[in-house]
Amino acid sequence: MIQRMLVVLAFVVTAAHGAETMPAKPPRFFNDYTGRVDRGMTDTLNERLAQYERESSNQLLVAMYPRMQTNSSIEDYCTRTFESWGVGRADRDNGAVLFIFIEDRKMRIQTGYGLEATLTDAESSRIIEGMKPFFRAGDYAGGASFAVTAMIEATKGEYRGTGKTLAEGRRHSLNGTQAWLMLGLLLFIIAMIVLSALQARKRGYVYDAKRRYQLPGDRWWNTISWSSGSSSGWSSGGGGGSSWSGGGGSTGGGGASGSW
Amino acid sequence: MKTLLIVLGVIAAFIVVLALAAVGSYNALVSSNQGVEAQWAQVENVYQRRADLIPNLVKTVEGAANFEKSTLIDITEARASVGKVQFTNGPQNAEQLAQFEKAQGSLGGALGRLMVIVEKYPDLKANAGFQSLQAQLEGSENRISVERGRFNEVVQAYNTKIKSVPAVFYAALLGFIERPYFKAKEGAAEPPKVEFKFGDGKTQP
Repeated sequence: MIQRMLVVLAFVVTAAHGAETMPAKPPRFFNDYTGRVDRGMTDTLNERLAQYERESSNQLLVAMYPRMQTNSSIEDYCTRTFESWGVGRADRDNGAVLFIFIEDRKMRIQTGYGLEATLTDAESSRIIEGMKPFFRAGDYAGGASFAVTAMIEATKGEYRGTGKTLAEGRRHSLNGTQAWLMLGLLLFIIAMIVLSALQARKRGYVYDAKRRYQLPGDRWWNTISWSSGSSSGWSSGGGGGSSWSGGGGSTGGGGASGSW
Repeated sequence: MKTLLIVLGVIAAFIVVLALAAVGSYNALVSSNQGVEAQWAQVENVYQRRADLIPNLVKTVEGAANFEKSTLIDITEARASVGKVQFTNGPQNAEQLAQFEKAQGSLGGALGRLMVIVEKYPDLKANAGFQSLQAQLEGSENRISVERGRFNEVVQAYNTKIKSVPAVFYAALLGFIERPYFKAKEGAAEPPKVEFKFGDGKTQP
């Protein structure tokens, strides 16, 4: 909690410096914000990564941006972006993100704690090296495809999947927090009913001329506008295909960077 | 008689509330202190990771070229001295942290010099084993800066807690002392960090 507050605080302060914009959580596994990779390839790679999460629970993401919006190093920028997205499951930290900044000609594989043993820095570095020839030739789809294959190969077998992505799991069932919220809401409603019953009884016995008569509709709890209870955190599904939803995974700064 | 009972009751209730608040506050201090110690373990862990790469690095460099020995000796010595500065419960004061920094800094410096010298040996740079070590070394350096940053964050939260009411009245009595921060690395491209000064000159600007 405190850490999260500090992250927010750090973000606010850096934002005040005017130099940095952190990329928002991406809607899908494969995200090309530059339009360099054609639609068919984007969908194919996205489905491969989604399928890989179903099989292994590992969340591998690709995010292509035009450029970095920071004065900091790519390592620091990607580490903090990864943290704010929460890639991978919180209990496994099994996420990894391939960040590509086309105009900066820079890229980085950022690895979560839980994948450090398989997607090592050396392995990440080899993958980065392998992508460079593709990118130098302007073949962004080819480079990304190569990286996706290599990252899947490297991290295979570390964890077992549930057959569903986190985004799919959330669509059908409540998570812990939501269940508690529902329970709290239920208890609150029951308490309100009991209270109003007691109050009505009391009013039956005590007659007070000074008290204004309260219409049932004027009771204070009726003035609370009931939010419909739909959570905005659920899958946004942007652009069709499988959507991605983070599980709160964390990174310790592992991975490798390169430029082409 | 009745008034006396009411007064006593109120006093008793007051004490109970106070005791509950004290327990809650104490537990919060304990968990915050645990957080600092856990994060310190993480810091030592990533520094250890860097130190563990060194024997392999020295071997690779030695084998690949008739390399000047003095840098390698420096690194080996620095690595040995690093192992001597360890704190299981985290650094208790600025001096201890400075000692740790000094030892790790000399190792970092020796590694930096090695990497500069390596530039003169194209064969070594092309060596796959060396490239892999270099990637791991870079990863270690990056992990170190991440975990140092997080250490400063948890220390800041902890220090704020022991300096706030009500803990400020009894934190020192119960042995909760102010923890030192890491200094920002000179010349390193680090993000602007939020720093609060607590006005005793020990914390960094």
